[in-house]
Amino acid sequence: MSSSDTHLVLQVSNFSVDYGYADEAVRAVTDVSFSLGRSRVLGVAGESGSGKSTLVYGLTRLLRAPGVISAGDVTLRLSGAREGETIDLLAASEDELRAIRWSEISIVMQSALNALNPLHKIGKEFDEVLRVHDASLSKPQRRERAEELLALVGLQPDRLQRYPHELSGGQRQRVMIALALALRPQLVIMDEPTTALDVVTQREIVSELHDLRERLGFALIFITHDLSLLVELADEIMVMYAGRIVERAPALDLYRAPRHPYTLGLMESFPPLTGERVAMTGIPGSPPNLKTPPAGCPFNPRCAHAHDRCLSEMPPLSDIGDGGRSVACWLHDPASPLEVPVSLSRPGESTPGGVK
Amino acid sequence: MTDRGDIVLDARHLSRTFTARRESGFFKKKFEQRAVDDVSVTLRAGEVLAIVGESGSGKSVLARMLARIVPPTSGELWLNGAQIDLSGRRGIDYARHVQLVLQDPFASINPVRGIRHTLERPLLIHGASKDDVAERSREVLTSVSLTPPDDYLERYPHELSGGQLQRVNIARGLAVSPSVLLADEPISMLDVSVRLGVLNLLRELCDTRLLAMMYITHDIASARYIADETAVMYAGQVVERARGTAIMDSPVHPYTQLLINSVPNPDHLAHRDSPASETKASGFNLHGCRFSPRCPQALDICHTNQPPEVDLGGGHTSRCWLSATDEQRTAVSITTR
Repeated sequence: MSSSDTHLVLQVSNFSVDYGYADEAVRAVTDVSFSLGRSRVLGVAGESGSGKSTLVYGLTRLLRAPGVISAGDVTLRLSGAREGETIDLLAASEDELRAIRWSEISIVMQSALNALNPLHKIGKEFDEVLRVHDASLSKPQRRERAEELLALVGLQPDRLQRYPHELSGGQRQRVMIALALALRPQLVIMDEPTTALDVVTQREIVSELHDLRERLGFALIFITHDLSLLVELADEIMVMYAGRIVERAPALDLYRAPRHPYTLGLMESFPPLTGERVAMTGIPGSPPNLKTPPAGCPFNPRCAHAHDRCLSEMPPLSDIGDGGRSVACWLHDPASPLEVPVSLSRPGESTPGGVK
Repeated sequence: MTDRGDIVLDARHLSRTFTARRESGFFKKKFEQRAVDDVSVTLRAGEVLAIVGESGSGKSVLARMLARIVPPTSGELWLNGAQIDLSGRRGIDYARHVQLVLQDPFASINPVRGIRHTLERPLLIHGASKDDVAERSREVLTSVSLTPPDDYLERYPHELSGGQLQRVNIARGLAVSPSVLLADEPISMLDVSVRLGVLNLLRELCDTRLLAMMYITHDIASARYIADETAVMYAGQVVERARGTAIMDSPVHPYTQLLINSVPNPDHLAHRDSPASETKASGFNLHGCRFSPRCPQALDICHTNQPPEVDLGGGHTSRCWLSATDEQRTAVSITTR
């Protein structure tokens, strides 16, 4: 991450989202802070109900009632004609939001079939967005731009004449990506864009995203439950559990040496493609009900390393001084070093009090 | 009494075609879509056969044919050594032996009825007495690790998590003590952290009850974890099959190789090919090898002739001209001349 503030696209601090009001409120996202630099890829991982989708819908103000943003600051740095300005996303009016949606921030949802109008040809979707956001473009210009965009994601121009049902799942998802890039946004958010696709198509789309990001320089927030996919694509990964960030680290570091027991559990939930076949257990139990979260660390009922402190005190997300890595786990509390289990310590590190 | 390894369900040369319409130019043309094309599979007691394939490869149609929900266009089905008459309706007796567990437990379990109803219904349909039914429901719930069973019997589907509900779904499949369990993508709708639990459960049931199991998935790594034998399907055909982990450890067919190389694997980032040349060729080749339009190693013969299923030894076969012997290739060039 660049140290200079001018290279930041998005800055989020102490962001929280509730579902419901007053006594009924359930906190779905709690105290999330992060920043995202230009043309960086941030991966967000976690199982369903961890708050990863709620987080991005909240940030982009797409959250519907009963979702309520209950705290936080979200600042977006603008580009293009408004270069240098910043906008407070949480305070912005609907008109202001309208002006930046798609042109500054765009979003790709999981189900492309539901996101495309089944009665419109693909060409019409492109035409509409280009016409609304830039009235100066003539019809042939809009068409030319649409063809350019399709070429960008490896689709033939004749796809513009097709209806969504005539395309395969992978092609539809490519159309969604091309649409998201139509107005050259600087921040693209993708919510499980490849989950419904088979692995071969997923591989192609991920490679394309990698390329597009290099060429066009947008920043990307990529949400998925598949950590190994994120490791390939992302610069940095945040792992969420029960609405909180439990670990944040550079992608490869996180993969090579996860420090939070949940991150480790998530990685060990996927059987490997190589090596001996051994029995694996995944993570015992199921995610907590956010209406009645357990006392202390929300992961404690499922954690093999939970001790007394975990049952009563919530561990804060703190920098553990290991290459810009933060973990919310008492095992790594610098103030009271504990014996860190080998699987959660740095490779080659001796176990007792292993954290500096 | 069946022993481990005994053949329970044997499907020979099953095919299923659907009639579809294609708009080509001015005329609407009818054509035959071969969803499953000459597939033979053998399910053995106490073993898991994994069927791996992408969406549209025909793996679910295959499972539905084995469950006799979709009648095959051609082919034979043998259950415990007896040939099944495929001309009539399925009948209740077949269902007692062969049960199908579907992908989405939220969609396949009645949301307005309690778990008790869901589990007792198949038992009552299959003629169990009222007294047995309650006892038996508790028993199957215990066998899928939903304990104590009385806590679950009175609950409704919305009160359970996806993982728990899928266990109920499996328990329902087990209620009538079938000898064959067909599991169609049983974990793909579940949360990542509970998937392994359900996979382990399936493996354990297969071992303890000597179930003959078919595990359908698009995730080849999960097949490697659970299966005794794996078959990879592409465009309605089995392109490669092998016992143990041979398919994942040394894939022979170019499609299997592509599949395995596509699985995210951060340990092999360096070996990653640059962005794959787009597989625009989506239509399958019906004359030659189905995979030939996408195959990076395709030979001339691949575009014109269907490859034979080549035996590589040890139960490993590959439907590919690259593995074929010279004699097999010459035989074709003579017949086509």
